[in-house]
Amino acid sequence: MDEEGLMDKSKAPSQNSRRAFLKGLGASATLAAAAAVRPASAATRPVQYGMLIDTRRCIGCHACSVACKAEFDVPLGNTRSWVEYVEKGEYPNVSRNFLPRLCNHCRHPNCVDVCPTGATYKREEDGIVVVDPDRCIGCKYCVQACPYDARFINPVTGAADKCDFCLHRVSRGIAPACVETCIGRARIFGDLNDPNSEISKKIATNPVSVLRPGMGTEPNVYYIAADHSDEHERRRGSYVRVTTHRKEKERR
Amino acid sequence: MIMELNWGLPVIAYLFLAGVGAGALTVSASILLRGGGGNFGGSHFDMARYGALIAPLPVMLGSGLLILELGSFHAGHWFRFLNLYTVINLSPMSVGTWLLSAFIGLSLVYAYTFMVPDVAPGDRWDVLRRACAWVGVPMGISVAMYTGVLLGAMPSRPFWNSPVLAMIFLFSALSTGVAAIMLARTLFRKFQIRKLEATAASGSSRRTSDLDVEGQYHQSGYILAASDTLLIGLELTAIFLFLIFAYLTVGDVRYAVSVILFGGSLAGAFWFWVIFLGLMLPALIELYYVVQRLLLHQNFSVPLGVEFAVPVIVLIGGFMLRYVVVVAGQITGPVGI
Repeated sequence: MDEEGLMDKSKAPSQNSRRAFLKGLGASATLAAAAAVRPASAATRPVQYGMLIDTRRCIGCHACSVACKAEFDVPLGNTRSWVEYVEKGEYPNVSRNFLPRLCNHCRHPNCVDVCPTGATYKREEDGIVVVDPDRCIGCKYCVQACPYDARFINPVTGAADKCDFCLHRVSRGIAPACVETCIGRARIFGDLNDPNSEISKKIATNPVSVLRPGMGTEPNVYYIAADHSDEHERRRGSYVRVTTHRKEKERR
Repeated sequence: MIMELNWGLPVIAYLFLAGVGAGALTVSASILLRGGGGNFGGSHFDMARYGALIAPLPVMLGSGLLILELGSFHAGHWFRFLNLYTVINLSPMSVGTWLLSAFIGLSLVYAYTFMVPDVAPGDRWDVLRRACAWVGVPMGISVAMYTGVLLGAMPSRPFWNSPVLAMIFLFSALSTGVAAIMLARTLFRKFQIRKLEATAASGSSRRTSDLDVEGQYHQSGYILAASDTLLIGLELTAIFLFLIFAYLTVGDVRYAVSVILFGGSLAGAFWFWVIFLGLMLPALIELYYVVQRLLLHQNFSVPLGVEFAVPVIVLIGGFMLRYVVVVAGQITGPVGI
């Protein structure tokens, strides 16, 4: 993702300067022209919304989960946004870390690939993966395909449901509910394609990770200091307990 | 392990039933196209007829069951599934929807050509029947196979994410299709024998064998038993490849396959119901009778009890294969987060 972005950026100024040179303008005029062009190209450049979650600032208060529930009236027993607790170690060397979870709005969403009705798709204008509940037949193929278990069947609509980055808020310039409510300010939301956005700068200057990178989905939700410990590590003899706080007690 | 099964009994039953139907049609069409003449011409036609008449029923029943599993159906949007017919995309489920619909249409026409009065090889429906059979072979194979592709399309489900799975489903579909025809043939044994007697009495132009009627009936079962043995052998080979490749890797797939290996929660269901009862036992029984004719050139003759029991356990094994695969895929996932 970054490679392509960098390529675009390196190409754009050189083309501008070449055009400016042909027009016979001076060096300063070239720079000015390039600067003037920049906002226009930024406006046409597609937005890719993403989130950065700094787990060091998360206190596991579930305010994000509650805000999400309230925002969407998510039916009882289902979660679009949830916080996992990861406990590990043996006394006295123990820790408990928090891992807030939501849809990753992947660059290569497998859920979209498998949808037989086109009900779920990745929006070209902002990269948000959405579900059209009137098109969705509730076949659960996407529920199976999501490596992050981010999807569920909404028992009221009968359609697949999941986090949509609060599209109704974001499209009006307001941050998603979970971001707004986070008391630790652990969540940063913004445009990953804009190198000057807060989220892009933070990602560029911090060691970040995504969940299950091996799935090849290229998530757009990044974490700082995420604890990637998994209950499978019990096989190695170390104590790890993951509490998902979901109806499905275990991680997929 | 507490895991919600998003795809439950309706999907398991569908995978089994669609396999039986697709297999029955493929086998029926193959027998019809291959077995026009020769010693068993008449019997071949009857076997093709059983397969043709069986084929649409399980596929339609299974497809109907799928609708019961839909979230939209549960929420009261009973006809929302018709949205499937507004889209053609590369989702295996979309491809499968169109394939299944075409298959059901074709299999009904094909079945009709065998339901006309005084049906016989070379009657006026013969051209249509053969045309359906030519299209039916590739279409049956596609319907039998696409379900494996559907399950295999997801990296998030390492147990299913194997190219061999579709081949296992294909061989299982064909062998359960043969089993369905064998079972029908056994159940209508009296009808079959009566027909052979009538043919013998009328002294028809067909080359008469030196066997009695009972013997002729048994002889005609040879092609089913022999092909079923071969198909089960191929299925076991595909399952072996599935297991050995999963076992020899590390990570997600290795952890996933461990649920059906010894000590896994589905090991009993897999090794007893699928491998032993559904595949090894029927294959060995059939081999016992097939070898007698194949190598020792004796007349092929199978006791009625065996003739009934073998297809039944093959069908049970086919269902249990779908059960184990569907459940194992859903109780396993990627390792690590």
